[in-house]
Amino acid sequence: MSEPPAIRYYDLRQVTGQATLIDIDNDVVESAGTSFFNRAILRVLGPRGWGILEIDNYTSGSKKKFNSLLASASRLASITQQDVHLSDAPYRVLDVPAMREDPRDVSIEEKTEMLAAIELAARNPHVVNRRANYIEQSEHITFSDSSGHEFSYEICRSGFNVLAVASRNGTVQMGFERLHSIRGFDLRHRQEYGEHAAKIAVALLDAGHAKGGRMRAVLDPELAGVFAHEAVGHASEGDLVQEGSSILAGKTGNQIGNDRLTIVDDPSLPEFGFEPFDAEGVAVQRTEIIRNGVVNAFLHSRETLAAVGNGVAGHARAMGAEPPLVRMSNTFIENGDAPFEEIMEACNNGILLKGSRGGQVDPGRGIFQFNAEYGYLIEHGECTNMVRDVSLSGEILSTLHDILLCGNDRAMHPGYCGKGGQSVPVSDGAPHVLLDNAVVGSSGVD
Amino acid sequence: MSCLIMRWWVAVAWIDQLLKEGAKRVDEVEVFYAEGVAISADTKRRNVNLAIRSDECGLGIRTIDKGRIGTSSTHNPKQWRECLEAAIASGRLATPQQWNGLPEQAVPDTDILCYDPSLTPDPQAAYGLLEQMLEGAAQHPAQVTSGSATLSSATDVIANSSGLRSISRHTGLSISLEAIQGQSTGSEFAHSCFFDVDPPAVGERAAFLASQSAGGKDIASGNYDILLSPIAYAELLASAFIPALSARNVHAGRSCLANHLGDDIMDPRLSFYDDPHRKKGLASGLWDGEGMPTKRIDFIRDGSLLSFAYDLRTAYRYGKESTASAIRNGVSGGTMIGHHNFTVTGSRTDVEDERVIYINSVVGAHTANPMNGDFSVEISNAFWMEDGELQTPIRSAMLVGNVFTMHKEIGGISDEVRQIGPMVLPSIRLISQRIIGK
Repeated sequence: MSEPPAIRYYDLRQVTGQATLIDIDNDVVESAGTSFFNRAILRVLGPRGWGILEIDNYTSGSKKKFNSLLASASRLASITQQDVHLSDAPYRVLDVPAMREDPRDVSIEEKTEMLAAIELAARNPHVVNRRANYIEQSEHITFSDSSGHEFSYEICRSGFNVLAVASRNGTVQMGFERLHSIRGFDLRHRQEYGEHAAKIAVALLDAGHAKGGRMRAVLDPELAGVFAHEAVGHASEGDLVQEGSSILAGKTGNQIGNDRLTIVDDPSLPEFGFEPFDAEGVAVQRTEIIRNGVVNAFLHSRETLAAVGNGVAGHARAMGAEPPLVRMSNTFIENGDAPFEEIMEACNNGILLKGSRGGQVDPGRGIFQFNAEYGYLIEHGECTNMVRDVSLSGEILSTLHDILLCGNDRAMHPGYCGKGGQSVPVSDGAPHVLLDNAVVGSSGVD
Repeated sequence: MSCLIMRWWVAVAWIDQLLKEGAKRVDEVEVFYAEGVAISADTKRRNVNLAIRSDECGLGIRTIDKGRIGTSSTHNPKQWRECLEAAIASGRLATPQQWNGLPEQAVPDTDILCYDPSLTPDPQAAYGLLEQMLEGAAQHPAQVTSGSATLSSATDVIANSSGLRSISRHTGLSISLEAIQGQSTGSEFAHSCFFDVDPPAVGERAAFLASQSAGGKDIASGNYDILLSPIAYAELLASAFIPALSARNVHAGRSCLANHLGDDIMDPRLSFYDDPHRKKGLASGLWDGEGMPTKRIDFIRDGSLLSFAYDLRTAYRYGKESTASAIRNGVSGGTMIGHHNFTVTGSRTDVEDERVIYINSVVGAHTANPMNGDFSVEISNAFWMEDGELQTPIRSAMLVGNVFTMHKEIGGISDEVRQIGPMVLPSIRLISQRIIGK
């Protein structure tokens, strides 16, 4: 066997824990149980690039055994060609925010009863299906590297989703609500989420289609948060900038939005995307991606910061023990100063869009798309008819100039973001936002 | 039974112990155990940046006791006792349902459908695949941004307390490449269970799409004939149509096809079926995730809706027969209703004979409304096509439609089909679809 090449750096990250899932579908408890996981990732930086081992059921053993793993990873690294360098970075471990009530102290029987109450609250003569899920994942993460850093933390994320499906004369519509948090158990007395899901599903039975095309749009805080995530967040990820697949590459210092617009990613914020340190052990901190309309900084890992510059490391994240990728965490548009009434008045005629069914971006092309759960036409500054199935699409480099007003009512909403086959918890947020020239995709015509 | 398979059964003798222990506590026990290894290599631009070896194993246990179904899973098979305990505890909370037993029939151990003994997870092989894709990409003036090659091999075991025992081996190969020219992007991929992909063609196609899409022109809003490539078609079908064929969704009230069994729901030239025994199919299998023998399922024949997809749980609950449509969600995931090789077929026509907008892929298909099928998505790598040739690229526009009604508005389907994951699809021409220009 050939001698493994020299090792410049290594780190080991292990994730152990358990997940509790409850699924109630039309009064039937389909499942309510717990599963267990234990997985580790060993990254070795050889003379050029990375060699990585992902190992199930890792147990720390003898020095000899660990050296053998290092040698295996190092041999993998021997096929790499890219000269990878790692920037220096600060190290600091934040405290995990305290939980109001630890979900692990509540029995699964109680959780099932509370979830059933939320599901039952979605009952309505037009609702043909009610479904509620509870998800609780507690992870213990340990990190160590060849520079002598050793950190660990434990975090528990929990929450629920409730879906109501309404049907009438062959028309089928849905309402969907969710509440997820790192701040502890939050399933008690939440029946209003079920009621609201049902209310939206039933109301959508009578909703029409908006006319597709360009118009002014008011985005609610949830949808405007997804807009920030899709339109700006992904394109600011350092790995995409490094590969040449972000339209923001080389745009540092360029004005791409109005001078009151600031967009931030902050993994230190105690929201759903919080992390005490990132997946490389690096300290997390606030990064202003867009400051006063100007491209200010990118999100980085140690590798992409060294390759690209402009920004800070501490934005490497991973799903479980998968390889770290540069990711968003808690992404938001900063508050402006426009009250909601002023935004509606300024819109005059257009569309108010609420909630999110997700979105997607092609950051190299600079084109993004995202979808609202529902909306209302705005006529003379007032909400009128409800509309359904509305998407927006836009172009990164021009769309931020079209943000005319930002409200003063920023709110964060939890969700999950997919990239490279990995899904990680995030939150997105914004105040209400008035967008000019929004391209609305909907099937209504004159 | 081969020697290799015999050796495997010896290695997993603890499964028999688990089944024996479990059978003392509950009516029935089912075990799914999988072990696998994958090697992948990624390139950033034209240089290989990392190589990964991933070793995975997972154990999923399902218990059934007086109609109460419990589940649990773990990465660590040595913890099977805790996992069994958790599954039994889970079952105590589940609502009881009609249950007529796990399958008893012996199914043959097999690796004939999805196993290539010459496909060995090896970093040099992954490196070679990347090199070949890069060579292909060099044929067009586009910059490679990223690429990946993965080779994998896995063994699945399914066993239950009714006597079912089966082992299957399968291999996999996945390659993909992304490219850009200016603000124009292109990507391509290929997946196979065999070492039979064409890496230079994948690289060439990614770079072609990036370079050919540059300099796109705007399009006015209006209704146009469109041609969805198998990729774009797969994205829309998977997001909004296929969930409506799941019997769980049908009986729960989450499918708008629920009351249309026997109805003509689409153009009579079209048929949809599941083909679990397709040669070299990516999702082929002789049995499903619960050990039920698979067979062809005709969902829609000549435009008429004939069947939905059932697993055992849903079939027993509603007095139907399982269609062997249970699939496993990952190494340690439970079962869910899905499909093997979902196939669209029908009378073939020349779909490129008249001027049409060709759409290679879409952005945002997952935001489609799964209840009513409405979608509004951005189109990617779209071109005006004439006489089968891609002409002027379209810079940016949205496609708005409904995944159910669009199948009543078809102009034809192509001769050629392509396997996109667990789907086998033609290109489909649709008449007078709504485009929102910019």
